[in-house]
Amino acid sequence: MANRSPRTQKTWSLLGDVRRKPSTYEVTAARFHYHFRKEPAPFELDPGMPLNLWYLKYREGSPFQVDDWEEFRDPYKLTYKDYVALQHDRETYLDLLIDTHEATSSVTRLDPAWVATLRELFVPLRFPLHVLQMTGLYVGQMAPSSFITNAAHFGAADEMRRVQRIAYWTKVLANAHGDELATTALARGAWENDPAWQPLRRACEQLLVTHDWGEAFAARNLAVKPALDALLNSQLADLARRNSDEFLALLFTEFGVDSQRSQDWSSALVRYALEHRPELREVLTGWLGAWQPRVVEATEPLAAIFATAPAAMATDDVIGAVREQHRAYLELCGL
Amino acid sequence: MALLKREEWQGFVRDVDWSYSYVDDSAVFPEWHCGTGKVPREAWSAWEEDYKVSYPEYVATQREKEASAYAVKSALQRSTTFDHLDEGWKSATKMHFGGVALVEYAAVLAELKMARFGLNGAWRNMATFGQLDELRHAQITTFFGHEFIGKDAQYDWTQKAFHTNDWVLISLRNLFDGMMIAPNVVDLAIELPLTFETGFTNLQFVALASDALESGDVNFANMISSIQTDEARHSQQGGPTLEILVEHDPVRAQWVIDKAFWGSARAFAALTGPAMDYYTPLEHRKQSYREFMEEWIIDQFVHTIEEYGLKKPWYWDEFMRGLDIWHHGLQMGLWYWRPTLWWRPKAGVSKDERAWLAEKYPNWEKVFGDKWDVLIDNVNANNLEATLPETLPWLCSTCHLPACNATQSRDGTWRVRDWSLQYDGRTYHFCTNGCRQIFWKDRDNVNHQTLIDRFLAGQIQPMDVGGILGYMGLTPDVMGDDPDYEAWTKDYVGRPVEGISLAAQS
Repeated sequence: MANRSPRTQKTWSLLGDVRRKPSTYEVTAARFHYHFRKEPAPFELDPGMPLNLWYLKYREGSPFQVDDWEEFRDPYKLTYKDYVALQHDRETYLDLLIDTHEATSSVTRLDPAWVATLRELFVPLRFPLHVLQMTGLYVGQMAPSSFITNAAHFGAADEMRRVQRIAYWTKVLANAHGDELATTALARGAWENDPAWQPLRRACEQLLVTHDWGEAFAARNLAVKPALDALLNSQLADLARRNSDEFLALLFTEFGVDSQRSQDWSSALVRYALEHRPELREVLTGWLGAWQPRVVEATEPLAAIFATAPAAMATDDVIGAVREQHRAYLELCGL
Repeated sequence: MALLKREEWQGFVRDVDWSYSYVDDSAVFPEWHCGTGKVPREAWSAWEEDYKVSYPEYVATQREKEASAYAVKSALQRSTTFDHLDEGWKSATKMHFGGVALVEYAAVLAELKMARFGLNGAWRNMATFGQLDELRHAQITTFFGHEFIGKDAQYDWTQKAFHTNDWVLISLRNLFDGMMIAPNVVDLAIELPLTFETGFTNLQFVALASDALESGDVNFANMISSIQTDEARHSQQGGPTLEILVEHDPVRAQWVIDKAFWGSARAFAALTGPAMDYYTPLEHRKQSYREFMEEWIIDQFVHTIEEYGLKKPWYWDEFMRGLDIWHHGLQMGLWYWRPTLWWRPKAGVSKDERAWLAEKYPNWEKVFGDKWDVLIDNVNANNLEATLPETLPWLCSTCHLPACNATQSRDGTWRVRDWSLQYDGRTYHFCTNGCRQIFWKDRDNVNHQTLIDRFLAGQIQPMDVGGILGYMGLTPDVMGDDPDYEAWTKDYVGRPVEGISLAAQS
């Protein structure tokens, strides 16, 4: 009954007649979303059940659409195996960095006025960064190709990494400079009530209710995250350095490595989309038109705190630098 | 070493919820995704996992595991182990690769959903690790399956299977889409990590790892054992979730567990059952499927649900009776409709094998022996055609598996029974009473056309065996066939032929 084909097959038949053997990265991600654009509904359940309708509306129905997402590649070509190896190296570096600073008790030598700045600017960070974790996961959950999903959820795990290191250092600061720094009341109180945080909180809350996968990607990866990353990983690192807080400067510089990876795959995805459907530029700029003002509004009051640090940075300089980094990134995206 | 212990700072990582003021809480956490139901929102703040892990600990452990799993692989690549594996065992692995690889990826979406919509920061963080784990399992499984494509085209279905409308896959998609992707996260945490992962994956992974070692497939044993080590961590999302749900809504908790257990039991009867009791070479079998189920699933499951103050499911007696029947009926169905499979199913009914089956399942000869005798006699009469399907089996509207479960009547005879119900102007048929009851309770979600419904509606063209095989995605190089007819029929050569085979030959 079964006629065995004499030709040796190189890879998955669903990849078509490929000449070269695909890489492990490709073999372990290509066409994993078996439900994308499946007829009559993505999932093998009643076609009218709520989840099928959700995906049809927000994934298949998103305006951010090309004929074929499967050719997109994360420039880092990360598999799970590569990701954990890469991040293990980065975490080993951070462990050493912490060991070095704990061995010399550097935290005890921080200027109390700088600690006051950190109390305002650093301690509440876990809230917005957890939102980036949640929304990164959502982008992955709704993305039309596993090559996108995988990059998105490595990025979400990176946010958890960032939150954990910030949590650790919050406790170190509290041990050295007063337990109040480690209280929920202080962190959540600022996040919920301090006027400087409210525009960012508003943007984060809006991000959490953005369900269209294309808009969720654009809002998070092209608007909110790059601006916040520029403010933290470059500007706050710079401010820490000026205030002799070498640890925090290096910590945020390290987070910049993760952010760069996020920007590299996100910009590659935008370029891929524009190459396949140039008219998507309007879709993306339309979304950015709504999100950019929210982001500007969110970063400005936080930039103002930079001017109150003992070794201060001018608010306009911080805003200008964030804006410039963000602009350069969008240019790299081709937007 | 960092000076602070994890417990000194981990509280902050979990303390990331606040009251929304710019958008509605119900938009951030829609009820049908979050599924809090009768549980007061604040009750979720008590959610706590037993086994905590930090990001640096996670990447350190996982990097090591990955390195050793792939190292075994590359060492074995240079050996000829694969070429000497038994065909039956290879079939078990093909079935596993095709049936499991993309389910692991569906589980990524399940974890992502809990990581986004779980109503507690600690839970969302645990699921963030969970989704990484599931990606690992999907990737390692597809990587290993891919390695064999050049040697055997059936391994192509490691990745292809879930894209097809093969009847096995429609059944699996229906089960896993329904269990992993569709539910709200509370139900999901109870169905997937608690019922499925702490229960059934044990069976698949522990049992198959042991069978793999016995069969000399070190690679496979190594791969699935390595995967299993992750389950202990992320599967614990179920416990704390169930604890909170039981406290506030025990009726719902019971239903969610009952439904997930039943669906899993049906799928495992179709796949793990034949692999253990028929495909694994006799000399390598350690326990029967039933014995394994009793040791690894039933005792543990009953212990778990009783610990949470729940009861055995309402269908318990029917399920227990099914342990002697379901997978044997399905094995016969799988073998008979073998052109629709992406593996080469062994019949596994030589005299020695039958003696083993009769010892493990005292009713086996009575219920199944005479049917296999007909197939055996037809093979021995060189009438293979009579052993091949010309029609389709009736598929159950809940589990989408063939309705082929014999039950004993009062007069002692064994018959395949039809359970049916009327809904929305049509009659639905089921393989078991349990499937019928689940359909009725969950009819808005699970009501979905079976392959037979599609065939009868004219969606499959042409309406013949070729059309059906085409619809299922089967190509001639993949279609399953018995790997060695002689192996299980030679014991019976020359015996007098009776019954249907006699009629067929005259």
